[in-house]
Amino acid sequence: MTDEERTYEQAAARIEAIIRRLDSGETGLRETLDLVREGRELVEFCASELEAVGRGLEELELDALIARLEGPNT
Amino acid sequence: MAESEDRSLWAAAARAEEAAALGEIGAAGEPDASTHDAGDGRPQGIEGSDLPGPFPVGAYALRLREGLRQRPRVQLFGEVVNFRDGGRAKVYFELRDAGGALPCSAWRDDWEALRLGPGSVGDGARVVVGGGPDYYPGSATSSPAFTFLVRTLRVAGEGDLLAQLDRLRKLLDAEGLFAPQKRLPRPSLPRTIGVVCGRGGKARDDILAGLRRRGWAGRLIWAHAPVQDRHAAPRIGAALRELAALPEVEVVVVARGGGSLADLFAFCDETLCRTVAMLRVPVVASIGHHTDRTLLDDVAAVSCSTPTHAAEAAVPLHCGEARAALSGAAERLRGEGRRAVVDRARALAVMTRAPAEHVARHRRTLHQQVRELRASARRRAAEEQALGARRLLVVARKADAAVLEHQRGADAIREAAGGLRRAGPAGVERRSRDLERLALALAAHDPERTLERGYALVEGPGGELVTGAAAARAAGRVRLRFHDGRVAVRVAAQRGRRPPLTDDGQQTLALDDLPTSPLRTTRKPAPPTTRPGPAPAPAPAEEKGP
Repeated sequence: MTDEERTYEQAAARIEAIIRRLDSGETGLRETLDLVREGRELVEFCASELEAVGRGLEELELDALIARLEGPNT
Repeated sequence: MAESEDRSLWAAAARAEEAAALGEIGAAGEPDASTHDAGDGRPQGIEGSDLPGPFPVGAYALRLREGLRQRPRVQLFGEVVNFRDGGRAKVYFELRDAGGALPCSAWRDDWEALRLGPGSVGDGARVVVGGGPDYYPGSATSSPAFTFLVRTLRVAGEGDLLAQLDRLRKLLDAEGLFAPQKRLPRPSLPRTIGVVCGRGGKARDDILAGLRRRGWAGRLIWAHAPVQDRHAAPRIGAALRELAALPEVEVVVVARGGGSLADLFAFCDETLCRTVAMLRVPVVASIGHHTDRTLLDDVAAVSCSTPTHAAEAAVPLHCGEARAALSGAAERLRGEGRRAVVDRARALAVMTRAPAEHVARHRRTLHQQVRELRASARRRAAEEQALGARRLLVVARKADAAVLEHQRGADAIREAAGGLRRAGPAGVERRSRDLERLALALAAHDPERTLERGYALVEGPGGELVTGAAAARAAGRVRLRFHDGRVAVRVAAQRGRRPPLTDDGQQTLALDDLPTSPLRTTRKPAPPTTRPGPAPAPAPAEEKGP
């Protein structure tokens, strides 16, 4: 799953599932390391999502935005 | 028909008022106003017009008010719309039905005298009013206003507007238009949010406050639209479509502050509701106060009571909490990864040490066993020693007893020997004599002695004794036993013939030729023995009879 297809809630749910699986104590070394690697990737993805909504409020006007989008064509 | 009558009535009233105005103004001393120039500031009339005047507008307005006030008082019914009770001298509202509307007002004294319950008259209320038309002529600085001045009022029941709203709600529900928005996935952390609200309204501040509370600081796209007149619904619909057309917009908030039902009626527009139902992005609605429920609230994915809550619903995730949870998850993952390796490394180290420890453990066990063995051996030796000592004691005692017994035996033997010694010579002598006598008697009965005297014994082939002639003839071959050996002979039956020699050189004897008694042997021409064996020896030494 690429980052474009992935959503925050899917990633967060997967992280929870990974931690539950690790907590179960049933994982072998290979599976543990794979899960940890996957979990770290998901954490990075979630962190980037949170970062995207934490940089500061950006306010746009719809009319201005549309005008700007249509600008090059007109 | 009624409309044409009404129109003619209005025309007649206007003419009467104009005539009255003309009369009054004319009575003021200006009968020919239309022909005079405006020396007093009054302009000339329109050339070619047959209408009276021109008259000052204020005077005409007053005449108009008087004319309206002279109209008969009536009762009207309709729905209250845009009710305004601002605490001023009058309350205002519109009375509407499907055919038209009238602006209405009532003096506060009259209104309070009606003793209507609080909230019993509001937008959508169906009422009957009593009163008549009135006109405020205005002034140089204030605008005129026409109103139906209400003197009495009775609440007739819930209005048609609400009934109409209810019908439309049921229709949209039956078409399933309340469901599509609720089926849309709502992102817990949208990066871009579209907002439709009135320009400069309080809703904007509330939405920003809600987003701040969530810790959200992404991109907001404001789409300002009128939110309460008849242009509102199409503009709101257009804004929603445009926002939904922007690919980065993940959720849209539609917000409007509180207001009367009539104010919020734009959000019950059927076209707007159908537009929202078909949008690709979820719409979070917050229209009016929590007691109001517009159709847009029903169609939207989520309906909230305030714009602040709508903003929070648009961002379900609390960003601050999510950051904390995420860092916690990252820490746990790091710990799990480290632990997975370190624990196993420790286990490996333990396993590496295990053989040496195993050997050491066995060595300790062995030493222990050796110690136990030695102790056990010592214990056993001591026990054996004690047992040996006991047995030795027993043996010693038995030896003592045996010595004693031996001494007794020796004494007895000595005693017996003494007795024997004493009885010995006499006994021996007597016994020798007896023995001698018995030997003599025995020798007298020995067959060998008889053979030595010249007798012979006849034996059959098996060594059995042949005691008669018949037995000898029956046997055919016999042996003669002499004191110095045996001779084999064959018994011949024919008389007078010399018996031939046997194969072994023995002679055949005819028994009939022999004297029956005493037995005599024939001479032996050949070796005397009939069978191999030891050489003949002196008879008593070779064969001895019993």
